[in-house]
Amino acid sequence: MTTMLAQDATVLGACPHDCPDTCSMLVKVANGKVTGVQGNPAHPFTQGRLCAKTSHYQERVYHPERVLYPMRRSGPKGSGQFERISWDEALATIGERWRAIIKADGPTAILPYSYLGTQGIVNGLTVGDPFFNQLGATISERTFCDSGASTAYVMTVGPTPGMDPESLAHSRFIILWACNLLSTNAHLWPFVDQARKQGAKLVVIDPVKTGTTAMADLHLRPRPGTDGALALAMIHVIIREGLVDRDYVDRHTIGFDELSAHVAQYTPEFAADETGIDAEVIRTLARDYATAQPSAIRIGVAIERSAGGGQLVRAIACLPALVGAWRRPGGGLLQLPLWAFPVRWDRLHRADLATPGTRVINQWKLGAALTGSLPLDPPIRALFVYNSNPLVVAPDQLRLQQGLAREDLFTVVSEQFMTDTARYADLLLPATTQVEQDDLMFSWGHLYLTLNRQAVPPQGEAVSNAELFRRLATVMGFDDPFFQRSDETILRESLDWDAPTMQGISMELLEAQGYARLNLPAADVFAPHAEGGFPTPSGKVEMKASMAAGGNFVLPTFRQGYGELQDGSPVPALPTYQPPRESGIRDAAPGARHPLAMMSPKSHSFLNSSYANHRRQLARESEQRLFMNPVDADARGIRSDDLVRVRNARGSFVAVAKVGDDAMPGVVVAPMGYWIASSRAKATPAALNPTVLGDLGGAPTFSDNAVEVERA
Amino acid sequence: MPHVVTDSCTACRYTECVALCPVDCFHAAEDRLYIDPEACIDCAACVPVCPVKAIVDAFDLESRADELIALNRQRSRELPVIDSKTAALPTAEARRAALGY
Ligand code: SF4
Repeated sequence: MTTMLAQDATVLGACPHDCPDTCSMLVKVANGKVTGVQGNPAHPFTQGRLCAKTSHYQERVYHPERVLYPMRRSGPKGSGQFERISWDEALATIGERWRAIIKADGPTAILPYSYLGTQGIVNGLTVGDPFFNQLGATISERTFCDSGASTAYVMTVGPTPGMDPESLAHSRFIILWACNLLSTNAHLWPFVDQARKQGAKLVVIDPVKTGTTAMADLHLRPRPGTDGALALAMIHVIIREGLVDRDYVDRHTIGFDELSAHVAQYTPEFAADETGIDAEVIRTLARDYATAQPSAIRIGVAIERSAGGGQLVRAIACLPALVGAWRRPGGGLLQLPLWAFPVRWDRLHRADLATPGTRVINQWKLGAALTGSLPLDPPIRALFVYNSNPLVVAPDQLRLQQGLAREDLFTVVSEQFMTDTARYADLLLPATTQVEQDDLMFSWGHLYLTLNRQAVPPQGEAVSNAELFRRLATVMGFDDPFFQRSDETILRESLDWDAPTMQGISMELLEAQGYARLNLPAADVFAPHAEGGFPTPSGKVEMKASMAAGGNFVLPTFRQGYGELQDGSPVPALPTYQPPRESGIRDAAPGARHPLAMMSPKSHSFLNSSYANHRRQLARESEQRLFMNPVDADARGIRSDDLVRVRNARGSFVAVAKVGDDAMPGVVVAPMGYWIASSRAKATPAALNPTVLGDLGGAPTFSDNAVEVERA
Repeated sequence: MPHVVTDSCTACRYTECVALCPVDCFHAAEDRLYIDPEACIDCAACVPVCPVKAIVDAFDLESRADELIALNRQRSRELPVIDSKTAALPTAEARRAALGY
């Protein structure tokens, strides 16, 4: 279907990026070109604002380095040398190579690799799942973001949207835990700010000093990975000091008595010793949180990124029930409101097409999977990367580079730009940006559906992800018409329009205003669990989790809908402290082998590695920096603006030191997203990141990372 | 780079922008506004509402960027936050016409 595109228009769009805010955008088109974008002022959540990434989205669309045509590698792998070919030739080559690989080794020798470079029902998380499930390729377990926290959350409170983000305006006490709101969830801020202006207290828990921590009434800086001790000590204090809402606990939770006995060990003094936060401060925090009702906790994606991150979320998910915070609007826990959307996951993943018993590879293990350090039979012979740039986001950068350089690996990358990963492609396919395609977005940060209409024709020969998989299905001879569904069909068939939350929402409404709030009560009266009703096996908050009996697992949402061959390793049924694996930082003196704990948070102006090739965003972020505390810098003779080498056994990179209080003693902070090709030592922070997964849901442990720093 | 208020605001001070700022980064002088560059998060919501296009991303000012950021920073330190709209200055319409908007 060809859409008629106006030469001059304002088109309703939606930001495609992997961000909870999913902003509604107005795309200005003149003479058939996008001349600018701005936030849609009518959208009640995103309120006319965009961000440092997207405020000049047209610069991404018309970036001189866009990949615009299919290309075949013409130099050594990694060299970035390519020559233009036709789509027909590219597709024929893929078909030929894949058929040969399937014949020799079976379809599991093919590995898809993707995540959320583009979100959206049509072109996002699941766009390739039906195709690869049908093909019988290895299942990719995509635990990039929030999977560990989601496993913990679902074990405790079930897949509930939790509190309405907008209801934070009515909170009396707010904890932002592991969340740099102003950089990574900025459109939630006005609701927090409104609560503050009405007298709410704001506590931010983050080892790093950020724009968000500067806004807090209280900034607590636990040693990285020790937050679990803090959360459990809060439970300890709340129970010991009689601050429990007994009525709520009796009616809507299970496992309270066991939890009560279990947390006896987690005294504030114990937590003080682990976290470095004063025991009296922990007591006050627990008391204030319990008594200032309604109280709210917003957890960020970063929360899961250490050895015990899952159990930390288990503990946090118990807190609102203990103090009865769920009773009122503005109380409770905010994790992923995504669960509010009546998404037809069955139609998006088509897990029914997968071959039973197909093996699963966790995507954080790509380096190991490609280099033989993960025992695989058959080995991976073909890699298909879309919506992702693993060389910058995945750990084990050196090994991954070796794997991608394998001459016998057939790598196809679909991309907008010549990323570090794209340089290793045998075939590079051009992908559209959001203004060149249609999509409908659900959100993992608010309760609105947001429509994105195509504004301009695809640049060059770029195709949307949905079109890419239609073409691949044809090449591979999939004759089920399902594989040729139009974007419009996917968009309409992937939601349950009969669900109560969709009542009053129509395509006409979405076309007219660009967004629609799910049919839920207004934020000032919406308290989804005032009367319990948690979607857990017991219908209650499971402080003692019945799902622990099945062992560790990843939600099928993060593994192509596939439920088989889960990890299954034992999980404690009660929230249990697990100290960091590497970032023990008891002794940050130079000389200890890797005495410093490194964190690599998101950069304000980049979305993971997206935008780190844009002049505007680089002007704000400058080059790779390493924030260090003066205590650690002095001990190493390092001053601000010195070049430093950061290293551990897994790799090293070079950065410009910035000495100050942004990093606490014993911790160094290296914002991520910078590209290898433009880095000083051809490596980025991911080169040092551990490959070990956290305790639940396959979460990475990137904040549990011991390093040493020296002058370069 | 942050957004900054340029001299076009002088004698106008429409203040259409201030309530839109999620981080209250506008500061008001008698004659014009300034943006605190440390607080600005580059959401750009204020840009389209200014009748005289006085707010720009400092990146687009190229050589003048540092100077304007410094001025906005300096004045923001001295002046109070403004977060709700006030009446434009009496000279605003004339100034707007002079600027060609
Ligand atoms: S990246 Fe996030 S904050 Fe920025 S425009 Fe997209 S959804 Fe909004």
